[in-house]
Amino acid sequence: MITHHAILGVATILYLALFFLYILYFSVGKKGILTVAWYCLLATFAVQTAGIGLRWVESYRLGIGHAPLSNFYESLIVFSWSISLLVMIMRKRLYPVITFAAGAASLGLMAYASLFPGVERGIQPLIPALQSNWLHVHVITCFLAYAAFLVSFVAGGLYFLRSRWIVPAGHTLEDINYRSIIIGFSMLTSGILTGAVWAHYAWGSYWSWDPKETWSLITWIVYALILHLRFAGGRKGRLTAVLSIIGFASVVMTYFGVNFFLTGLHSYAT
Amino acid sequence: MTATKSNREKETRQASRPTSFFRFLGSVRLAIGVLSLIAATSIVGSAIKQGGTEEEYLGLYPEKTYHLIKLLGLDDTYHSPWFYFLLGLFAINLVVCIVKRIKILAGEKGRGAKAPPDVRALVAAGSGFTVRAESLGEISRRLTGSYRKKEISETTTLYEKGFLSRYGVVVIHASVLVVLLGGLVGLIGGARGFIMLRVGETAWSAVSRERAGTPIPLGFTVRCKDFKVAFYPGGQPKEYASEIEVLDGAGRVLKEGRIRVNEPFSYGGVRLYQSSYGRSNSYTFLVDGKTIVLGEQEVTREGKAPFMVVRHAPQVHDFGPGVMVAYMDGEDPKTLWFLSDVERMRTHLIKGSRVSLEKISGEYYTGLEMSRDHGVPAVLLGFGLMLAGLYINFFTFHRRIYVVNEGAVINVVGIASRNKEGFLEELGKLAKDLA
Repeated sequence: MITHHAILGVATILYLALFFLYILYFSVGKKGILTVAWYCLLATFAVQTAGIGLRWVESYRLGIGHAPLSNFYESLIVFSWSISLLVMIMRKRLYPVITFAAGAASLGLMAYASLFPGVERGIQPLIPALQSNWLHVHVITCFLAYAAFLVSFVAGGLYFLRSRWIVPAGHTLEDINYRSIIIGFSMLTSGILTGAVWAHYAWGSYWSWDPKETWSLITWIVYALILHLRFAGGRKGRLTAVLSIIGFASVVMTYFGVNFFLTGLHSYAT
Repeated sequence: MTATKSNREKETRQASRPTSFFRFLGSVRLAIGVLSLIAATSIVGSAIKQGGTEEEYLGLYPEKTYHLIKLLGLDDTYHSPWFYFLLGLFAINLVVCIVKRIKILAGEKGRGAKAPPDVRALVAAGSGFTVRAESLGEISRRLTGSYRKKEISETTTLYEKGFLSRYGVVVIHASVLVVLLGGLVGLIGGARGFIMLRVGETAWSAVSRERAGTPIPLGFTVRCKDFKVAFYPGGQPKEYASEIEVLDGAGRVLKEGRIRVNEPFSYGGVRLYQSSYGRSNSYTFLVDGKTIVLGEQEVTREGKAPFMVVRHAPQVHDFGPGVMVAYMDGEDPKTLWFLSDVERMRTHLIKGSRVSLEKISGEYYTGLEMSRDHGVPAVLLGFGLMLAGLYINFFTFHRRIYVVNEGAVINVVGIASRNKEGFLEELGKLAKDLA
């Protein structure tokens, strides 16, 4: 009997293969490798989706059926999955170096999920507060936002190496940054709003200034600032790049940091 | 964009002091400043404990830091006057910005329809193309499917799509304002509290968490008919629910219902949420021959002196379960241990009343969160508007295609408010199809 752990293990190995395909492309420079890498990404995504699906099915066999969106391990996998989904959605706009960085992030998340001690990997029962249909849309929108902000972070970071070796020109990076922020901002807004509606039904309050809520608001404000700076003064290259790095730091705080440094209503996500 | 920019410059030169202040209130610069401050405040608020007691703060911080926290209201950051000030400023900023934006849009709409742009220059710049005169019908046929057609003059036709996207920013800003207003309504008229009920018990009010212990009247009486909790095999709670009924002053049942986690119950503008549960003990005493049941912290006046249970111990040395009872002997508080399994220790005289402990029973109580917030519909409306606004602002854009009949040839030019490359591709495809 193949378990979902085995399938997700295959997905991790495929992410590793993807990583080396890009390394090969950067050293050899043959366009054909990119095509192979693209199909490798599609295959990886398909295998990972199957793994997540099987975990879902297995949870029903255990009699505690729920979507695999409920604990830290599951969130790491979904984060990695969301990054690949986003890369596929944005494929026309991205550059090999950005797809490479995003794929490496997916690999890192999968590796962390499967290797790091202290990450509970078993399927756990769903506590009553999480038993809601809002769970799915809330988690998916949030992680798509995080994935988009990761792309924005990569574009922002690469801005400081622009037009060198494999890094595209500054305006291209800024364009990618802006496009990913548009997706990320819309998704984060959807994530926050669905979370608020859910909180209204579950806790009796749509906003409780819980640390995770507060940090998601801080993240939202940082990206709102980037959008407004762009509106106010057109392209601002360096400033946008710096802010998208700060924005991603805030995303990391919202996702990881809050659970480790602060306590609150979202504490089941650790 | 260039037109509005030069207008803006003109206005700056002529601006008198009040209008320049008004412009500042609606400026992006103010928005950036206020949003940054709100974000900074939130960081501070998430790092410092909120709503704790003095002892809790003194356990965490040195006394001087505590006084500073208290002085700046950082123990309740999100309800401090200066945080409200920031939100107020933000709201004003939004209002002025919306007004300004609508004025600009109203102007653009009129201008765009009347005066077409310099078509030849645009063709030369690459945002248009020239086709044979016979293509006029073909263009119309291809564009009227998705574009709105408008005859501007005898020779010029405008095809337009996605004008609404220009209102995206207005919709988003307005939605934030609606959410803030909803929040304000909840803040002024709303109330939140907590109700703890054992099966069979009733409550007419909830206990406020913020103003420690103040009762908040519900406007009705709620009775817990039943409480059920189910567990997973591992012992974690799987589901818990309360069966409740709403009673009027005369004890008539007005409404019955079930409250589960994620499924609140609402009556008369009050919502009740299943928020927690626990086990509490009740103690059955025989006081001068009369049976009474005491909850935790509950005082009875049945005997000659009022008393209450102050402590419960499941095991007192080797003597089994016991409770410590406190009563007042004149001015002095006195305590007595009752042990239910030891005959000699089961009965005591309290100021001449014969009191004996009959039974200690544990039972579940349900913890209900109560909320009255008339701002919620506005907040939800704001949410909907925000999503709609984001969609039309970021994922649709305003496209205009001017078709100018120059007699021998036709010039076709396109202007897009966003996604210029994508629109140029669309124009390119149209040019290829017509050639």
